[in-house]
Amino acid sequence: MTEHEIALVTGAAQGLGLATARRLARDGYRVAVNDVVDDGRLSALAKDIDGLVVSGDISDPAVTTAMVRRVDDAWGPVTVLVANAAYMTMSPFLEADTADWWRHIDVNLSGHFRLVQAVVPGMRAAGSGRIVVIASGWCVIGHPNATAYAASKAGLIALTKGLGRELGPQGILTNAIAPGFVDTEQLQVDADDAGISLDEMRRRYADGVPIGRIASPDDIAGAVSFLAGPLSSGMVGQILQPTGGITRTRA
Amino acid sequence: MTGSDAAGVALVTGGASGIGAACCALLRERGWRTASLDLNAADTDVSVQADVSQARAVRSAVERVVDDLGPIDLLVTAAGYYEEGLDVADIPRERWDRMLAVILGGTVNAVSAVLPGMLERDRGCVVAISSELALAGSATDLHYVAAKGAVLGLIKSLAVEVARTGVRVNAVAPGPTDTPLLAADSIWREPEYLTTLPLGRLVRPQEIAGAVYYLATEGSQYCGEVISPNAGAVI
Repeated sequence: MTEHEIALVTGAAQGLGLATARRLARDGYRVAVNDVVDDGRLSALAKDIDGLVVSGDISDPAVTTAMVRRVDDAWGPVTVLVANAAYMTMSPFLEADTADWWRHIDVNLSGHFRLVQAVVPGMRAAGSGRIVVIASGWCVIGHPNATAYAASKAGLIALTKGLGRELGPQGILTNAIAPGFVDTEQLQVDADDAGISLDEMRRRYADGVPIGRIASPDDIAGAVSFLAGPLSSGMVGQILQPTGGITRTRA
Repeated sequence: MTGSDAAGVALVTGGASGIGAACCALLRERGWRTASLDLNAADTDVSVQADVSQARAVRSAVERVVDDLGPIDLLVTAAGYYEEGLDVADIPRERWDRMLAVILGGTVNAVSAVLPGMLERDRGCVVAISSELALAGSATDLHYVAAKGAVLGLIKSLAVEVARTGVRVNAVAPGPTDTPLLAADSIWREPEYLTTLPLGRLVRPQEIAGAVYYLATEGSQYCGEVISPNAGAVI
């Protein structure tokens, strides 16, 4: 069913990355899973889906190179890269410090910039490839107290468009997904920050979404599956926005 | 991949050729029951020959489809035609009227006839076929582009109007697609144009069907979105 069979998913220990790794495995891909460390979750996931753990901090160039080589040695070239790992803190703009700004850029943007550099030669050798970038609805419409995060994700959208044009002629298709609110572990963090229950947090977010409910991780994993698979072969440089209408009505 | 367990009933306007026919073929392959509303006969479970610009004909066609196949889960509005190479001054009023009647009017007619049944069941998916030209603008085919742009406005607003129901409304904006609508001497078939596209080729009708199928089966989070399988024509 799948024409590109070796996938690498960053940030796969939880949330969207976890759902994506499981979905791609179900679709028939061999899936290598990355997160900054393997605290047991990655190896448990890998065991479940017969995957490969390639843990490490993608902001370290030596790590990205080694990760890709490791997958290549085990299975062959990565033909689907899911650039999902992200660092995020929230703070008022004037209180955000420069080190935190750079951490956003180093992980979210530079980390995936170098990871793409590491996988493209293998995709070229394989004759085709898919790069699926997880951006954010917040970089499309903006969000208070998340300026560094949104800026790093906006950089990924520009990367997606540039790579779409540059690598498209070589059969390597780059597209992005800009999710809105998703029912992940982050919700509990947000609830704790707001001092409310998880259910109340979920309801508050859902009320702000035109369709009245937030996305599940599986909704986003479905979008990744589409962009990685044969049904999207005419798409390049595009940004999918499965946000329940948040981005459509405000950008 | 999603199997026949998720399959339902689809009505495709313009299902006899090009993008509409490709949608019907993919849906049937995946277990859907399909109906076409087209001037010409289509290879579908139900084929109604009618003009989408005629509201009454569309209404009775939809009634027949529901009678024969059951409630409609997916409406794809692909009926349309294309004319190019016309300066704006050379587009007479009758051509404007016909283009708007078929592309915008046809979409309105189909949606008006199908939406009540979807709202009653609180489920359903509408996918309108627009065009990449409606995003980027284009010379020498203004009436077509204006009509396709109007479809986008219609879809975005309708999506918001029904947002709190279980009905999803979205659009697909194809790039230049290899269908009979593109004449053999169309400027969009010229090699000099195709080399400007990141994919370097026309979009295949099956690739539009792929985006439609994705929206129909896994598109519950899309509300008034425009999906663009366009070979990179507009990024």
